[in-house]
Amino acid sequence: MSTDRLFRFPKPAWLNSANTRTAGVYLAGAFFSLGFFFFIDASVFSKSPLNGSIVHITFVDWIPVICSALGMLVINSIEKSRLSADSFSYSGNGVAWKARTVLFLGFALMAGGLAGSVTVMVLKYLFKDYALRTVYMGVANVVANGLVMLSSVILWVSQNMEDDYTYNLQL
Amino acid sequence: MTAGLKTIIALSFVLAIGFLLVILSAALFHNFLTLIVVATYVVAPLPNWIAGRCANPDDFIESNSSAWLDLGRFVTGFLVVMGIALPVLLAHCALIQVPAMVMSIIGGLLIYGTIISFSQFFKEEQDF
Repeated sequence: MSTDRLFRFPKPAWLNSANTRTAGVYLAGAFFSLGFFFFIDASVFSKSPLNGSIVHITFVDWIPVICSALGMLVINSIEKSRLSADSFSYSGNGVAWKARTVLFLGFALMAGGLAGSVTVMVLKYLFKDYALRTVYMGVANVVANGLVMLSSVILWVSQNMEDDYTYNLQL
Repeated sequence: MTAGLKTIIALSFVLAIGFLLVILSAALFHNFLTLIVVATYVVAPLPNWIAGRCANPDDFIESNSSAWLDLGRFVTGFLVVMGIALPVLLAHCALIQVPAMVMSIIGGLLIYGTIISFSQFFKEEQDF
């Protein structure tokens, strides 16, 4: 495992322990929750009396978050070992190709969610002369999508730690 | 088990303080939205227990049995942060006052800490 590595610096040893992996999964859930509640906060704020403007959160604001969450679901429900399965004979015909297609769909959904949230913020809130507390609803949308993406990255990385650990466990 | 009676007394004391804080945060301000925190923290350990039953650690052929464990941990992390984020949300949108937010967060953390440390202290020895 150490002979075919790509970079000159080896991976630190704590990165492969089971505890780091568990903590990473917990952290991913925490970040997803934080992003989700940022957006819920924006939409509750939109209907609360603090929001003095006539601008409200509508379904347009919900679309990026829905795309991001769907993308996260798609990316993280793929079996990671199938992504490089073409070299094995037991794995049927074109499994890796199918897995990569679905993975591409997931990444496209997530990137589309983030880009869409920026679009909504710019077109709906920034181009007009709104007060800062109104612009907050757009900013919270971007923050929520960014946190969902960060959570997905953490979950992906910590699930890829699994391989070496389970390998050691099974031997 | 060496940590016996004293642990139980201390844990129940902390649990009572936690419930007292949450109920006071609701009753002092005549606004019972903060009681959701109790429900969140009581539900929070459940996904790990359920996922622990779904996953079979002895299963070497089906290598993805840890997916259930990961899902349980993910939902637990979600619920724990939800217990903090929900009062902050309610206070930010002026549905509850800020003192109620502080009291319910502290009370909720005490309740969750009691549940976690109870299950840590009195975990059954699993050597067979």
